[in-house]
Amino acid sequence: MVAIDIGGTFTDAVAMGSQGAFRVAKVPSTPDDPSQALAQAVSELLADGVPADAIDLVSHGTTVATNAVLTGRLARVVLIATEGFRDVLGYRDGTRPDIYSLEPARPSELVRRRDRLEVRERMSSRGVVTPLVDREIERVVREVAKLRPDAVAVALLFSYLDDRHERAVGDALRARLPDSPVSLSSEVAREFREYPRTATAALSAGLRPVVGRYLLDARQELEALGIAAPLMVMQSNGGCVPAERAEREAHRLVLSGPAAGVTGVAALGARHGLDRLMSLDMGGTSLDVCLMSDGMPPVAPSLTIDGHPILAPAVNIETLGAGGGSVVRVDGAGRLQVGPQSAGADPGPAAYGRGGEDATVTDAHVVAGTLSAGSPLAGRLRLDDDAAREVVERVAAPLDLSLERATCGILAVTLAQIIRALRRVSVERGIDPRGFTLVAFGGAGPLHAGLILRELDLASVLVPPHPGLFSASGLVAADLRIDASQTVLAPHDPAGFEEMLGWFRLTAGQLVAQLREDGVPRSRVRSVASIDCRYRGQGYELSVPLPSVSRRGLHTIRADFDRLHRSVYGHANEGEPLELVALRLSAFGGLSHAEPPSVARGGSTPRAEARVGERPLLLPSDRRPARATVYRRGSLCAGNRIAGPAIVEQMDSTTLVLAGQQARVDGHGNLWIGEGRP
Amino acid sequence: MTGRRRAVDPITFELVHAALLSAAEEMGGVLKRSSYSPIIRDMEDFSCAIFAADGDLVAQADHIPAQLGAMSLVVKSTLTRWGQAIADGDVFIANHPFLGAMHTPDINILSPVFVRGRLFAWTGATAHHLDVGGVNPGTEGPALEQVYAEGLVLAPVRLFVGGSENPDVMSILTENIRDPLSTISDLRAQRAACLLGRARLLETIERWGITTVRAVFGQALDVVEDAVRLALAELSDGEAEVEGFMDDDGRGGPPTRIHARLSKRGDTLAIDLSGCAPQVAGALNVPWASTRATFAYVVRVLTDPHLSSNEGILRPLEVICPLGTVLNPRPPAAVSVRHNTCQRIADTLVRAAAEIWPEKAVGSSSVTFFGINIESVSPLTGHLSVLSDVVGGGTGAHPGGDGIDGVDTYMSNVGLMPVEVAETNYSVRIERTELIAGSQGLGALNGGMGIRRDYRVLDRPHRATFYGEQTNPDFRPRGARDGGDAAPARVLQFDSEGKSVPIPPKVSTTLEAGSLVRVETSGGGGRGPAAARPPELIATDRDDGRLGD
Repeated sequence: MVAIDIGGTFTDAVAMGSQGAFRVAKVPSTPDDPSQALAQAVSELLADGVPADAIDLVSHGTTVATNAVLTGRLARVVLIATEGFRDVLGYRDGTRPDIYSLEPARPSELVRRRDRLEVRERMSSRGVVTPLVDREIERVVREVAKLRPDAVAVALLFSYLDDRHERAVGDALRARLPDSPVSLSSEVAREFREYPRTATAALSAGLRPVVGRYLLDARQELEALGIAAPLMVMQSNGGCVPAERAEREAHRLVLSGPAAGVTGVAALGARHGLDRLMSLDMGGTSLDVCLMSDGMPPVAPSLTIDGHPILAPAVNIETLGAGGGSVVRVDGAGRLQVGPQSAGADPGPAAYGRGGEDATVTDAHVVAGTLSAGSPLAGRLRLDDDAAREVVERVAAPLDLSLERATCGILAVTLAQIIRALRRVSVERGIDPRGFTLVAFGGAGPLHAGLILRELDLASVLVPPHPGLFSASGLVAADLRIDASQTVLAPHDPAGFEEMLGWFRLTAGQLVAQLREDGVPRSRVRSVASIDCRYRGQGYELSVPLPSVSRRGLHTIRADFDRLHRSVYGHANEGEPLELVALRLSAFGGLSHAEPPSVARGGSTPRAEARVGERPLLLPSDRRPARATVYRRGSLCAGNRIAGPAIVEQMDSTTLVLAGQQARVDGHGNLWIGEGRP
Repeated sequence: MTGRRRAVDPITFELVHAALLSAAEEMGGVLKRSSYSPIIRDMEDFSCAIFAADGDLVAQADHIPAQLGAMSLVVKSTLTRWGQAIADGDVFIANHPFLGAMHTPDINILSPVFVRGRLFAWTGATAHHLDVGGVNPGTEGPALEQVYAEGLVLAPVRLFVGGSENPDVMSILTENIRDPLSTISDLRAQRAACLLGRARLLETIERWGITTVRAVFGQALDVVEDAVRLALAELSDGEAEVEGFMDDDGRGGPPTRIHARLSKRGDTLAIDLSGCAPQVAGALNVPWASTRATFAYVVRVLTDPHLSSNEGILRPLEVICPLGTVLNPRPPAAVSVRHNTCQRIADTLVRAAAEIWPEKAVGSSSVTFFGINIESVSPLTGHLSVLSDVVGGGTGAHPGGDGIDGVDTYMSNVGLMPVEVAETNYSVRIERTELIAGSQGLGALNGGMGIRRDYRVLDRPHRATFYGEQTNPDFRPRGARDGGDAAPARVLQFDSEGKSVPIPPKVSTTLEAGSLVRVETSGGGGRGPAAARPPELIATDRDDGRLGD
């Protein structure tokens, strides 16, 4: 199978065969037409000996939806709202994005005000207040047609309870405008709170033409290369959807890229029997972190992108503005600041020699010796030692520090920022990170992993064989996934159980049928049910797993909720009445996965050709420069052990092993780092 | 860069400072996670901080601007009251608006941190509790006349003595508040946050040494002070005098004057508030800690929004604010709705700054801050509960662009209640929520639009309290640099037949079944002359139906 991950800078492709054959390709991304880079990467794989007709599956992580939202290149949407509420996308949730700015940018508008129409109708939680009459439907459809939109969104109040009005408008629109996608809020998310549901419908409508066009291009490119295999697309929830259905699910794709990496981490953890995992993806501009305490990526019921909420399950990833390209500055008050500005990929750090004039974290690593002019680096560029030294000098001078001290300082401050963020993420979720295994990837992840291991007292660090291509490897491990939800807002009362069980049964049948259409037999389908619950009067919910969809299961959810509430929030209120807010069902369709390739076995001492040299290393924790042994990752064998201080270099990343730490290579080429001697 | 000598080298400073901020943030995480009330968890109406032994604020996690610098004055009054009697393991509780707190619902929990038997620092957590007793459910009320009507008032007393809960204080609490279960749970969460902060601080001392940490405490204030002074020094010198008004005194009386004379010389900013009205009869008075928070907010928005919050922010200020005025009242003034006044102070100071630095001038943002509480029977459960909603308005136009439509402004950021939540939980129908065409001030850059929202009460009569500002057209949001003013706010009532019923904008009343309350909040002021707005933008405004008749 082939996996293709399109990122902001590079497009990565990985081919895995049944006998552990493994090929990789990395090409620059082509943001204007991402399918070009996709075609380029796949043709490199074919040129490298991967037979086109042997490819049985192509899975794909794409930023096409993400970028469309972030750059405002959405299709033009007309919104139909309940009379009196066309401005719900104008006032949003009533809060502003940046509290301390008197010059805040206006939030981007999903639908222009002139394209926001009202229809005379009204539902309430008690039923129909104002009926929707045929003449009114005809009127509003005529108005829409006059505006000639690319797509239409319909979001009426209380449609999560009763979708008859939305469906009536939707049917009439589809009949009149067969070529425009129509997104109904009750189809994209049957959940309460009108602003996020309306925004989700509008984003769905705005993304469908963009995603549809891209997927058509991608399939044509693949066919032109002789690949007829089915194309699967990664969703925000960490599962895939067949390309044929992805257009309708466009709003579920916005976290496609980062979700792939986290899915890969979970798969890696499962293979090694680890369930407490910290996923750390650090690149040039940012750092994505995800904590898993039960081996599964935590999935939140919604996400926010560019200020817009999307009611679609998404892997819970925290993003921080700290990366290799983070700019180091000294402010007027004499404070050393790292980030949040980034030199990005272009011009990038000064050491890239592309005209970058700001000191960055990467430049400090070059001066410290963790990265060196001799190291290979993604994009095949050579690092410029002198340029790095010069910009770090410029930071050291106003602080009245030696170059060495300033370098160590930059690295220490960067680490302190990462630690601060990791602590915040863990303590807010009630998780103690001690004893977790850190899976580090992205270009800069393995460079900082050993430092984090020591600072947070983690169990170990795992660096996969190709850290810079790890997101693509994650795609290889993904299954299909479909999510459904229904807001109920009902007391926990056996009188209502039959109706809820009815929804679970009906929905399970629909999801299984859908997966069968996608080519997955019932025997490979697994469903997971849960219910969002809260104590009556609370404004927030916790999702409680429902191991058995039965009256009994619904009864025991009471005690399960108390237990979960206690573990997450530190206390429970056993006497308080329980409210069931929303029912959730996810169905997973198992795909067949290729085994990861094995590496040759060796002794505990690496072969001579794996040792490529020695160089002085300057680290915050060390009093004087240490001499680190430098290894070539590709020449290491299973069973090899390395004592720190050491540097392991490869094309797509550099791994740092501190003095006092040791690393070993496992049968699949993963590098494990722990504290203590081999 | 100022030539001040630093005791600690810049790298060590950053590392220790990051550890202190991290401790304050983790305190916030614990409080948020283990609290019961949505007001803490969802609206983040709380703050956590670390103080030096003398009560100076050293590190505060960033939550809501209304609580900037909160607690420092409470620590100082705890020191005054308890002095040498403060012991390791004690935890203090206080909410006294005349002993450094903000208003009675904001309860402060403070833990002294001892190192080798000597008081070294404090950790503190303050949080807004929905009810601390008093005349009104929810404690607050614009028409209240004395702090004694605003619930239980606690001078700094010991909630814990030597590590054990103090049953006397606990008992006073549980017998005087409406929802003891959630209040006591939240107070315990606040203490848990303080203890975590203490543990993190002790770890930091263990790692870096007490001398270094003490020096970083001082230096943290110095660097923030220096940053503010540098930013001020870069601005041109000048002075301005601006006034603004509250519609009344909280009880339907005459308008309340807020007046500020702002003067910038070199690296110092002088704020003279002696022209403000004497303290008022209603609950619009602002306790000193809240008035100080508005200074910290204004300094941050005018200099560097990313400044760390600590005592250093206020050092470059010279403030005159006589005792007995609405911004520095004497006991027993009522203060519970002080936030409405704080919004007006923030606006007045921002407008004064605009006169001194026209290039940075922004149009005024709405300070209507319309709050409505409707006591209603839940159709879901049949229980009595209170719908509580706040409706935002437009923000002012600024050099970079138009204002934002329909949001909370300045020192708070409260969201609008979703219709689907309101109607499910209360016997109320929200019949309309829309942006008001023409409510924004027009200019080269336009202000944001205000909101019109209609609440109809169903089934039976409902008790309701609501209050909003800027219904007096004279006090509408102003434009900057010849930009147009925004429309004022309006509060209207209609009976079930649709006939208009006159009501004051601040009132506690009973609404008959089927009657409707409509609020129209003000928009934001424009910036620059309207004639300078590019025709294509005016065409867009027109096509988008933003312009009034």
